[in-house]
Amino acid sequence: MQPALEWQVGEVTRVRTETPRTKTLTLALPKWMAHRPGQHYDVSLTAPDGYRTERSYSAASEPERAGEVDLTVERIDDGEVSPYLDDVLMPGDQLEVRGPIGGYFVWDVSLGGPLLLIGGGSGVVPLMAMLRHRAAQKAPIPARLLYSSRSAQEVIYRTEFERLADGDGELEVVFTFTRHAPPGWTGYQRRIDPAMLDEVMQSLGNGVRSYVCGPTLLVEAVSNALVAMGLPAGRVRTERFGPTGT
Amino acid sequence: MISRGFFGRRRPAEVENRLPPGQYLVTDFPVLSAGPTPHTPLDRWSFTLEGLVGSPVSWSWDSFLKLPSQAFTVDISCVTKWTKLGTKWLGVSVDTLLQSVHVDGTARYVMAFSDGGYTTNVPLAEMVNGQAFIAYQFDDKPLAAVHGGPARLVVPHLYFWKSAKWVRGLRFIDHDEPGFWESLGYNMHGDPWKEERYSGD
Amino acid sequence: MDDEVADMNMALMVDGNAVAGELQQIFGRDMTTAVARCAGCASDAEMGALLAFTRGPGVVLRCPTCRAAIARIVETTTAIYLDARGAAYVRMGSRP
Repeated sequence: MQPALEWQVGEVTRVRTETPRTKTLTLALPKWMAHRPGQHYDVSLTAPDGYRTERSYSAASEPERAGEVDLTVERIDDGEVSPYLDDVLMPGDQLEVRGPIGGYFVWDVSLGGPLLLIGGGSGVVPLMAMLRHRAAQKAPIPARLLYSSRSAQEVIYRTEFERLADGDGELEVVFTFTRHAPPGWTGYQRRIDPAMLDEVMQSLGNGVRSYVCGPTLLVEAVSNALVAMGLPAGRVRTERFGPTGT
Repeated sequence: MISRGFFGRRRPAEVENRLPPGQYLVTDFPVLSAGPTPHTPLDRWSFTLEGLVGSPVSWSWDSFLKLPSQAFTVDISCVTKWTKLGTKWLGVSVDTLLQSVHVDGTARYVMAFSDGGYTTNVPLAEMVNGQAFIAYQFDDKPLAAVHGGPARLVVPHLYFWKSAKWVRGLRFIDHDEPGFWESLGYNMHGDPWKEERYSGD
Repeated sequence: MDDEVADMNMALMVDGNAVAGELQQIFGRDMTTAVARCAGCASDAEMGALLAFTRGPGVVLRCPTCRAAIARIVETTTAIYLDARGAAYVRMGSRP
């Protein structure tokens, strides 16, 4: 039986800058519940005049870390919530949240693999929760992450991806840069396309479970391509973030 | 719980008196959407007046553009709490359209209907005397599809959900009927100055 | 230009999963893996996979196959409205 979905007040215990546009907030939650990787939390802000607004943010941390959750927030310049979360919130502040929420875009090791994760921009956040969980469980499930960013400086969790992939023969992390590749870059420098998907998937074999997350237009293009390549639609799970650019 | 350092949206003092209660100022033009953009080719577009009229009348896109048009600048307020000041439109006044049709004396309300199935209801008395337009230009440019182009209803004195995007006609009726959002808890009338957001407000 | 405009409106679309919180508030359980059958075209889809239009007076959930409205949700100051007339049925596990 699931407990009722209730708002609770978490405390910000840590704020980490990931990239110039993204920060990770660590929240300690009095009514913490283990999430399934891929789930999100709703965040609610209330102004002194009573004005209230809500947004959803994916959990970035693995559920093995009890009592707290990481939310990685990309700053939307004209947004009303993300600039607040990025610029104003400090350790010691309180934040009203409810979650974890959503059973559709989730993966855990009990579902098995092979696992194909495709992220654009901050769409990589719930995919990171899946990879952190996979690592915490030391599950040798074949996994590929294809991660599209505008430039190298916008890559979130870069050093941790390198560390995760290092010494894990079953995990491969592939980057593509759509605007500016770093000097000497020999990898992909274009938007994700069917040829790229084919190359990344090649070594995964049959029965792939895929999770695609990012700006809506990227998710549309990738999920249509995966289905056209023969993946059953039920194994292509999507999470569209709306209009933010890649 | 009040969020420390969160002040929500702005109600600048210099325009405070132009912002209806509970509304906040925006300078961009937020896109509201209940579905995919319909793409009716202009050569298959028409605008129709029907229902309690002597005989229904329809205009093609070309003939609609030949109707006398009017520029108007108005403040618009969306029930999702944003208000945009001084929006510039060009369109045909509903008064002009009504010169081409005999509306039955029993007609009291209008149901606007759009591509994609959207509908919204407005009292007939609030559609006339320069209160409502079928607009096809915004800011001196053809109205973008994302904002309801090729043509949308603009009834600026009511919340903007009444200003149906992609509008294709008006049906005259003798009693009030709820449209797409009015049938799901939104106010039948929708006056922002009276804060008529939900049914019962 | 028309393509850009069409893209921009499509870009606002998210998944039913994005309104998982509202659905859970209404049903008291996660509904994103419940299956909705479209009353129009009879396609089945998990509610998390429905197309969701959330930037408006309410939420509209549409069939990924035919785009018809399957459900609409409005939250007023005093009530939550759910209109699911676009669904022939919603099927969920008997044990949440």
